Amino acid sequence: MAASIREKQTAALKRMLNFNAPPLKNTTAEPVWKVLIYDRFGQDIISPLLSVKELRDMGITLHLLLHSDRDPIPDVPAIYFVMPTEENIDRICQDLRNQLYESYYLNFISAISRSKLEDIASAALAANAVNLVTKVFDQYLNFITLEDDMFILCNQNKEHISYHAINKPDIMDTDMEAIMDTIVDSLFCFFVTLGAVPIIRCPRGNAAEMVAVKLDKKLRENLRDARNSLFTGDTMGTGQFSFQRPLFVLADRNVDLATPLHHTWTYQALIHDVLDFHLNRVSVDESQGSEASPAGARPKKKNKKSYDLTGADKFWQKHKGSPFPEVAEAVQEELDTYRAQEDEVKRLKSIMGLEGEDDGAISMLSDNTAKLTSAVSSLPELLEKKRLIDLHTNVATAVLDHIKSRKLDVYFEYEEKLMSKSTLDKSLLDIISDPDAGTAEDKMRLFLIYYITSQQPPSEADLEQYKKALVDATCDLSSLNYIKQWKAFTKMAATPANYGSSGVKPMGLFSRVMNTGSQFVMEGVKNLVLKQHNLPVTRILDNLMEMKSNPETDDYRYFDPKMLRGSESSIPRNKNPFQEAIVFVVGGGNYIEYQNLVDYTKARQGKRVLYGCSELFNAAQFMKQLSQLGQK
Amino acid sequence: MAADITLLFKASVKTVKTRNKALGLIDSSIREEPGGAKRARPRARDGFGGRAREVISNISKLKDFLLQHRKEYVNAGGVMCSDVSRMTDSERDQIDQDAQIFMRTCADAIGQLRSDKGKQVVSAQVRDHRAAVLDLIEAYLKGVCKLYSEQRAVRVKRVVDKKRLSRLEPEQISHDKQQSDGEENNDKPVSDGNVDLWEDNRVEDDLSPEEIQMFEQENQRLVGEMNSLLDEVRHIEGKVVEISRLQEIFSEKVLQQETEIDSIHQLVVGATENVKEGNEDIREPLHGVPESSAAGHMTGSSVLGVGVVLQGFHGSSPQRSAAELLGAPAGVCVCVCAAAVSAAVSAQDRGA
Repeated sequence: MAASIREKQTAALKRMLNFNAPPLKNTTAEPVWKVLIYDRFGQDIISPLLSVKELRDMGITLHLLLHSDRDPIPDVPAIYFVMPTEENIDRICQDLRNQLYESYYLNFISAISRSKLEDIASAALAANAVNLVTKVFDQYLNFITLEDDMFILCNQNKEHISYHAINKPDIMDTDMEAIMDTIVDSLFCFFVTLGAVPIIRCPRGNAAEMVAVKLDKKLRENLRDARNSLFTGDTMGTGQFSFQRPLFVLADRNVDLATPLHHTWTYQALIHDVLDFHLNRVSVDESQGSEASPAGARPKKKNKKSYDLTGADKFWQKHKGSPFPEVAEAVQEELDTYRAQEDEVKRLKSIMGLEGEDDGAISMLSDNTAKLTSAVSSLPELLEKKRLIDLHTNVATAVLDHIKSRKLDVYFEYEEKLMSKSTLDKSLLDIISDPDAGTAEDKMRLFLIYYITSQQPPSEADLEQYKKALVDATCDLSSLNYIKQWKAFTKMAATPANYGSSGVKPMGLFSRVMNTGSQFVMEGVKNLVLKQHNLPVTRILDNLMEMKSNPETDDYRYFDPKMLRGSESSIPRNKNPFQEAIVFVVGGGNYIEYQNLVDYTKARQGKRVLYGCSELFNAAQFMKQLSQLGQK
Repeated sequence: MAADITLLFKASVKTVKTRNKALGLIDSSIREEPGGAKRARPRARDGFGGRAREVISNISKLKDFLLQHRKEYVNAGGVMCSDVSRMTDSERDQIDQDAQIFMRTCADAIGQLRSDKGKQVVSAQVRDHRAAVLDLIEAYLKGVCKLYSEQRAVRVKRVVDKKRLSRLEPEQISHDKQQSDGEENNDKPVSDGNVDLWEDNRVEDDLSPEEIQMFEQENQRLVGEMNSLLDEVRHIEGKVVEISRLQEIFSEKVLQQETEIDSIHQLVVGATENVKEGNEDIREPLHGVPESSAAGHMTGSSVLGVGVVLQGFHGSSPQRSAAELLGAPAGVCVCVCAAAVSAAVSAQDRGA
């Protein structure tokens, strides 16, 4: 598994866009133009991985939605990348009848059923276009990769497989089956793309177990069918031969409800929490300049600007997991280096201007030419760098505004203390009643975390007091009902979630940032330093990966799709620690868990961990789901 | 990873066909025409698509041509190699010119396509598509032009370098020759062009055989000189290493002696003290009764003998660790000396 999942999926997409032939390395090859047609699912999959420019470079002249009005463009091949649903199939048949394009390359995101294939066949026959349908492929790409080591299942109909949908009390068996099927289908596609058959571990008695059983069955069926097995043949590639199979840990969201509600301090998680961040695209409200508006007091216009945070952005890759003050400093440093380089280029320009007339310049020509060519070639890089610096400056400023107005640093510190059960210096009631600190939602989150992490629930009197304070602060209490139920339920099952010992040290109010007079003036914001601690999901992974014995994970079920007989035992056959693992949270996940796993992996050499979840929500969205559940 | 189900699709097509036949739904007009896929659709072959494809094929031809002659163009052979396929400068210029004309033609064709596209009445999507197609073709052309300009840049650089090196020489031809001799050893390519700039006092590129021979001899001489220098340096290096080694040994020895001297010093001090004590001890009995003097004399002389032997023993092996050797017998030795002295004194006493 040397290549990351993002690279694998990108490679698969590029191959598909090259008419399902491996792309050539030749840079000056003849351009072949084509048209790409996708549905919303396809769009979500492609957009984090390939930019419009990259599509253009591959020869895609137009990219269109399947269900839009499309005009016939003769003598152009068309590549379709859609889900095999009824409406999509109908539309494809319609296209065939209308003879929109010269040839058709049909790629289905997940496997298409035989009957639907026959529908297309009959439409093609009717339109006398069978020869035009050049290739039909099942791509098995039904998942969205956001980072090198993070993926989510789908974005379009995520209400169907949300936490709310899985945990609502009046769920019917058929619904549950449908949800499980969707999840298992995506996971199966994921493993096909990854090219590895994992060993599955899951807890007992919840949605995760159902998913594991179904997935095991599906993998097993596919492996038995040696002729059509997707895991053999040269698709595996020589570079993918690893002596160990990866470990697939299925976790259920119910094992840890506090983390999605947690206030956070790392860059990527903050952006997700505070701004509108979706499929690696963040939208920022930008006010029209932070200087005082000129006399005449025109109201500041607010534009919404959206930025893509991609894998090519080196600053982002380096700092997306850093605590926020570090990010602020880093942006400042980048700006300084950029200015220095810019000055260098300008200086070179003036030198060249002066030297031009000198007769003896020929001898120095080659040196200066070299300098000039390097300057010229580095200009695009410089411009790109400037763009990225601007981007991050805007984003970080927006985040900082939110932090200051809602006093998120206070919340973060307090919650960390709650989760690590260290002594609290301020009473919960104070914070809740404090009108400046944060929105109603923030207070509700804090209270829920307190409720979840306390060993015994607060007494009735206390509870009433808190409730009153919360209602005063205009909070919505329905989510509390659900949490109460959940707490009662999980108390029967296992030990309460132990969040590990952590500590948060405030690093002093005046950091270096202030002294360098940067625009990120963090006065009044505590410069907090995160100490490493393990969230419940990380701990579970650690136990399973290192084969440690722990009451929490000892009775996890064990599935090995490659074994001939499925066994019900939970004793793992393999005694060695695993080198690669995939953690999947059924019911939803977020960036805080992801970041925690990344930190865990960094601390250990040679281990790779991928993180996936059925959907990605930030605290606000999760709260909404909890309220809905609490209202039932 | 992805499953190719094209065959499955074709099979489905057959299934559907047979099923239709079985159900009698076949329409007589719907017949699979051989190659009928490319029906007479209003596709003007010399329309946009065709012209675009033509341009692309032209550009590809240019690319192939450039790549084919690239090796000769960028000829890196030195003066010594008389390659038959070596290009003259005029040929290179010809290639340059041709390439440029070709590129210009292609660029014009693209521009024309672009303006034509604006005139035709087509849907918005088709227009976008065509614009994108033209962008792609332009990018391809740029790539090929880059090939060409790289080649050219290498050539120009060579010329400039040659000129620069030549300029460093003074007017005299002999010096010129020596300089270029040094340079030819680095395999500089010979460029026959730019004759007009080099008319005055530059090196003749075609060196006559005598000059070649002379340069060869110079070469040999220089090589010999360098080698001898190298040998000398090596020799000196060996000597220096030797010296340092000897010096190390010397300093080791000095340190050893220092320790020994220290220990001897200690001993002497100890001995002195013992003697003093001994003297005091002696004085006491002297003032007392000297009755055991005979026995004392016997033991004193035998002990003296032992002491002498020990001393001699000790003196013959100075290299042994002085401390351990001196330690044990030293005390004995000193006491023995003291006893001997006392015996001598008592003997003297008796004698006196």
